[in-house]
Amino acid sequence: MNNKVFNTQSAPHIPHTNTVKKIMLLVWLALVPAILAHIYFFGTGIIIQLTISIMFALSFEAMTLKLLNKPIKLFLNDFSAIVTAMLFALCISPIAPWWISLIGMFFAIVVAKHLFGGLGQNIFNPAMVGFAIVLISFPQAMSIWIPPHDISPYALSFLENLQIIFYNQFPSLVSFDTLTQATPLDSIKTALSQEYSISEITAKPLFGNFGGLGWEWIANFYFIGGIFLIYKRVITWRVPAAVILTTLIISLPFNLYNADHFIGPLQHLFSGGLMLAAFFIATDPTTGCSSHKGQIIFGAGVAIMTVLVREFGNFPDGVAFGILIMNMSAPLIDRLTIPKAFGQSDS
Amino acid sequence: MKEIKINPNHLYSFNGGLKLKHHKTDSLGKKLAISTIPDKLFISLRINRGNIAKPTVDIGDYVLKGQVIAKPDTDNGSYIHASSSGTITAICDKETASPNADMATVIEITTDKKNQWIESNPSRDIKTAIKDAGLVGMGGAGFPTHLKYRDNEISTLIINGAECEPYISCDEQLMLDFPHELLDGIILMLNVANAKQAIIALEDQIGGIKTQFEKLISDRKIDNITVIKVPTIYPAGGEKQLIKVLTGQEVPSGGLPLDLGLIVQNVGTAKALSDYYTNGKPLVERIITIAGDAIGQPQNYSALIGTPISHLLKQAECNSDMTDRLIIGGPMMGFAMPSSDIGIDKTSNCILALSKENTEHHGDTLPCIRCGECVNVCPANLLPQQLHWYIKGENLEKAREHHLFDCIECGACAWVCPSQIKLVDYYRYAKSELKYLDFKRVKSDESQIRHEKREERLQRLKDERLAKRKRTRRRTTDPAKVKLDLQATLDRVNKAKDDKEKSNE
Repeated sequence: MNNKVFNTQSAPHIPHTNTVKKIMLLVWLALVPAILAHIYFFGTGIIIQLTISIMFALSFEAMTLKLLNKPIKLFLNDFSAIVTAMLFALCISPIAPWWISLIGMFFAIVVAKHLFGGLGQNIFNPAMVGFAIVLISFPQAMSIWIPPHDISPYALSFLENLQIIFYNQFPSLVSFDTLTQATPLDSIKTALSQEYSISEITAKPLFGNFGGLGWEWIANFYFIGGIFLIYKRVITWRVPAAVILTTLIISLPFNLYNADHFIGPLQHLFSGGLMLAAFFIATDPTTGCSSHKGQIIFGAGVAIMTVLVREFGNFPDGVAFGILIMNMSAPLIDRLTIPKAFGQSDS
Repeated sequence: MKEIKINPNHLYSFNGGLKLKHHKTDSLGKKLAISTIPDKLFISLRINRGNIAKPTVDIGDYVLKGQVIAKPDTDNGSYIHASSSGTITAICDKETASPNADMATVIEITTDKKNQWIESNPSRDIKTAIKDAGLVGMGGAGFPTHLKYRDNEISTLIINGAECEPYISCDEQLMLDFPHELLDGIILMLNVANAKQAIIALEDQIGGIKTQFEKLISDRKIDNITVIKVPTIYPAGGEKQLIKVLTGQEVPSGGLPLDLGLIVQNVGTAKALSDYYTNGKPLVERIITIAGDAIGQPQNYSALIGTPISHLLKQAECNSDMTDRLIIGGPMMGFAMPSSDIGIDKTSNCILALSKENTEHHGDTLPCIRCGECVNVCPANLLPQQLHWYIKGENLEKAREHHLFDCIECGACAWVCPSQIKLVDYYRYAKSELKYLDFKRVKSDESQIRHEKREERLQRLKDERLAKRKRTRRRTTDPAKVKLDLQATLDRVNKAKDDKEKSNE
């Protein structure tokens, strides 16, 4: 026994079971209710979008890792590219053409993630970079949505979805116009420019109680998924709370000032990508703030930018821009909010 | 000084911390075992961060148990006694039970198994007794005890019985088996510190010890010792964290509990003081937990300081093939030892033998994804992921700005890290590197000053020489003055001549 040489690794000697893979798996799990709601309201298109963007993401990830001479298996195994792909797919239209995913994933994985140093080093949220690029470059393809199934005259089958996405072939029996529909935020923007008032616009069947019909339910499920992540300690309450509360506070004065021109706080919250961003994108730890105070500032910034773009910008939704701008500011916010260490409180 | 108020019904909390499986019952089921005397004792002369005591014996000397074999050369050290009677067979450099198993001077005693005590006559002055007994903090840091009793005004003495690391149960065993000795030690400490009250702090997972103590305290009619249970959250037994939990006060960054008028002492240290003061036994043995899944009979042992780890492992039926890591201390902060041929020292509270299944990491080390879980658990309110980021980029000064030196190296951040990054290694590296750089800076500043002083001195000498030369030159260049000078000299010579002639006459 005296001669045996033991392992002299440093403490802690008992490992924890937490892994990056586990965190990513929990994020998938938290997205499942919203995906199911998506399928219920907008058909099977989202399944195709998820599949192709995950495939593109993994291929780009493997290719770049190979080019950069990094261990492929190790990094493919962390599942983070899949999370990026899922978030991207949930932001685009269920009938968006396949090359939207291709381009989006190229910019997300190759440019935003790996050119900045790979896992944990990227400054910008990859999914939001991909989304912003396709949103700016292909506004038309990005704005074509389909109406939720309650008010849709025609439900697309899985095969028809495939044909639309891959061959741009719409079913011949129904016209393009009855089949497609702008997003609620888009139609508000268009209708406002035609001098309609908010109450007239939201009386249309496209709108539900708070936000767009169907959309509000998906937002609800993002909320539930997000609460699950907080419970599982994958994210903390700070960012989502800051996003949601700031949205309510910032949009309320506008709405009170002129309710005909500015949509209400709840409409803001339950439309577009805000709920998804609050729980799944602004909480991305890599591109967000690390101090607790910084996280609250980060969340508030995302909400302010989103509301301002929606009210005064050219784009119907500003979540992606809000996130990217705050990503840029995160290092500065972090530097200004270094918390006091133990024993420094009084000095 | 702030006033310290402690209310058992209103405790405070520190940021973060962990709830760990404590594994303590394994070693607590049985009675305290007395270790047999090993053939050889390896007594390390290294105490408290690099202070090495100087041997006072030579190879071949016969020593008795309790005899001083090394004494410190500064006030920061402490005395070291022979743990058993026998012959000194070597004084050499050897691995010690310290971080990285650092090499230090070790005295090897080949025991005669007689365990014969030296006659001792402990000083009646408690402060001197503390020093003579060779007391150091027995909770792990090994801070020489006598340094805590200076002339500061002390309001409260905190006796730390909160062993927060898993597996370790030696303090609990000590409190179960030696409550009287412990109370005696606390009373002595209260006297020397001139403190108003003492608090015995326990973790709330602990069983009936609180009632046992309270009964004893009321039986002995002691009115200034209270027992308080603190929540079991790692690292609640850390000195600074314990103070925060009890008083709500934070020890100032870079300061000591003394700054708040507090002294924290491990239960083992208090008992060791009473052992010396009442029985004349200096600190030559301690209670040590032998545990881990590779140990057949986990138990607490009373062992002589210097007992080789292997000797204790044999008694506890350790399966050495199964053992992957041999750890001195707990699983969160302990040091893995390369071999079992190392003697335990005064601060060794536990020997853990863990198998591979228990120590293996789940998954590979990945880059930091900045998930922030480390921030949530850090008891020192730091941003561990930012520290890691800056240290990895060799931006050490930035790490210092992020309060690197307030890190207590508890390992909570590394434990929760989903990327399995050995965070504490980074902090230790950065701390030692920064200390070295500071040292170098001080040295270079000093030599800069020395250089400037020297230049100044040389210049002054040169100036003085020049001034002197100038003075003499002025005299030699002015003809009138030269004439006068010559005349004066001639006069003096003539006068002397005249005087001589006169005296001859």
